[in-house]
Amino acid sequence: MAAPLKAEYVSESEDFDLSAKIVKFVALKKPNEEDAAQEQQLASFEALMLPHLDAAQNLAKWLLRNEQDAQDVVQEAYLRAFKSFSGFHGSNGRAWLLTIVRNTSYTLMKKNRAVDLTTTFDEERHATDHESTSPAALLEQIEDAELVRESMDQLAVEFREILVLRHLEGLSYKEIADIAQIPPGTVMSRLARARGKLKECLAARIGKEK
Amino acid sequence: MNCEEATKLMDAYLDGELDPITSQAIERHLRECHKCDQAYKAHALLIRSIGDATPYYKAPAGLRERIQSSLREEVAERSTRSVSRDIPSLLESKHSEWRAVLFGTQWSWLALAAAIVLAAIIAFNLAPRLQRPGADQLLATQLIASHVRSLMANHLTDVASSDQHTVKPWLDTKLDFAPPVVDLGSDGFPLLGGRLDYLENRPVAALVYQRRKHFVNLFVWPKESGAAGITNTVTRQGYQLVHWVDSDFNYWAVSDVSEADLQAFKKVFEDRTARH
Repeated sequence: MAAPLKAEYVSESEDFDLSAKIVKFVALKKPNEEDAAQEQQLASFEALMLPHLDAAQNLAKWLLRNEQDAQDVVQEAYLRAFKSFSGFHGSNGRAWLLTIVRNTSYTLMKKNRAVDLTTTFDEERHATDHESTSPAALLEQIEDAELVRESMDQLAVEFREILVLRHLEGLSYKEIADIAQIPPGTVMSRLARARGKLKECLAARIGKEK
Repeated sequence: MNCEEATKLMDAYLDGELDPITSQAIERHLRECHKCDQAYKAHALLIRSIGDATPYYKAPAGLRERIQSSLREEVAERSTRSVSRDIPSLLESKHSEWRAVLFGTQWSWLALAAAIVLAAIIAFNLAPRLQRPGADQLLATQLIASHVRSLMANHLTDVASSDQHTVKPWLDTKLDFAPPVVDLGSDGFPLLGGRLDYLENRPVAALVYQRRKHFVNLFVWPKESGAAGITNTVTRQGYQLVHWVDSDFNYWAVSDVSEADLQAFKKVFEDRTARH
C-alpha cells in the first residue's frame, strides 16, 4: 500500500535533488513500522484492560464520591496505564489497573482541597444510642441500598477503599495490600475496623430514622 | 484459642484468609463457644448482606469511547514526536540548499500526514490478523465472546430462575442432552438462570451464576471422547476460564472474577453435582 503513494510523490517532484528524495523515503518508511508496533501495543492493552472498566469506574466513584471526577480519573488512569504498559508483565490486570486508578484518585483528592483526605468518622457525632438497634433490625434495613450507600459515603476514604475492594471486587488480602500499598497484616485489621465503622454508621442512621 | 483472639481473627476467617492451622483453631473455638459462634454467624450474615446491598457503579455509556480516543491521540502524538525528532537531523546535512530544506520541510508534513494515514490503514487491516488465535485458542475466544455478549445485550438468561427445578426442565426440552443444574446460592454463587448458546457447531447449555456483582457463565455440552478429570485454566483478555470434564460433560466456566473464585466455583459445582 505504501509503494504507489510514494511513487506518486516522487514523480510529481521533479525539481529537487536525489538526497531530498532519500529524506522523503526515510520519513515515510520509519513511522510506518513504529506505528504498526504501537497499534499492536494499543490493541493488546485494550484487550487486557478495557474489561476492567467497570471495576475502575466503581473504585474511582467510591473514592471520589463524584461522577464527573470519577470519569476524569478513570480516563486519566487509562492513559497513565497505557504509558507504563511496557512495565506490566503480571497476569493480574485488574489489580494493576486498580492500583493506578487508586493513585490517580488520591492525586486528585490531594489537589482538590474540597475533598478532605483526613475526613474520618466522627465518633462523637455518631456515638448515639445505636446499641439499642438490634442486629435483626439492622439486617432488615440493610436491604436498602441507598442507606448502605449513604453510610459508606460517610466513612473515611481508606475504609471506603478497602470495603469496595473486598466486598465488590472480591479481591484477596494480598491483592488489596498491593493496591492500597499497605502491609498484608494491616489489611485484616483495617478491614475489620472498616466493617465495624460501617455497622456503627448504619445503626446510627437507622436509629435516627426511627 | 480464647474469645478475644477469635474475635480478632473473625474477619480474616470469614474472608477465608487464614492459614489452615489457625482456621482449624478458630473452628474448634466456635464449636465450643456458643457466644462466639452466634457472634460469628450474625457478623457473617451482616457482612454478606452489606456486600450485596452496596451499589456497584458501572462505567457510563461513552466513557469507553472517550478512553479509546484518548489512547489513539496518545499513539498519534508519539509518532509525531518520533518523526519530528528524525526530520531535522536528516535535513541539517542539506542546509546549504535552502530550497531543498524548504521543500524537504514541507514534504515532512506531507510525509507525516501520509504516514499517519497509512499507519492507520495498515493497522486497521492488520490488527485483526495480529490477534488471530491458534486453532486451540479459537474456542476460548468464542467462549469469551459469548460471555461478553450475554452481559452486553441484556440477554443473560432465556429462563430466569434461581430454582434449578425450573431451569433444568426448560433446558432439557430445548437440547438433546440433559445438563446438570444446581443452585449454589448457599456457597455464594446463586443461580440466575439458563440460556441456550451455540459453540463448537452445536447448541450448548449456558448456566448463569452470580458472584457478588460479577457473573459466571458455565457452558455445558456432552463430551465426545477423552478422559474425565482434566482441568485447564486460561486467562485471556482479563477473563478467567476454567475447563473441566466429567464422565458425561465438558464444562467451561467463564467470568471476570478472580482465578481463586472461579476455582472455588468449580469445586462447589462438582461437589454438588456429585451428590445428585
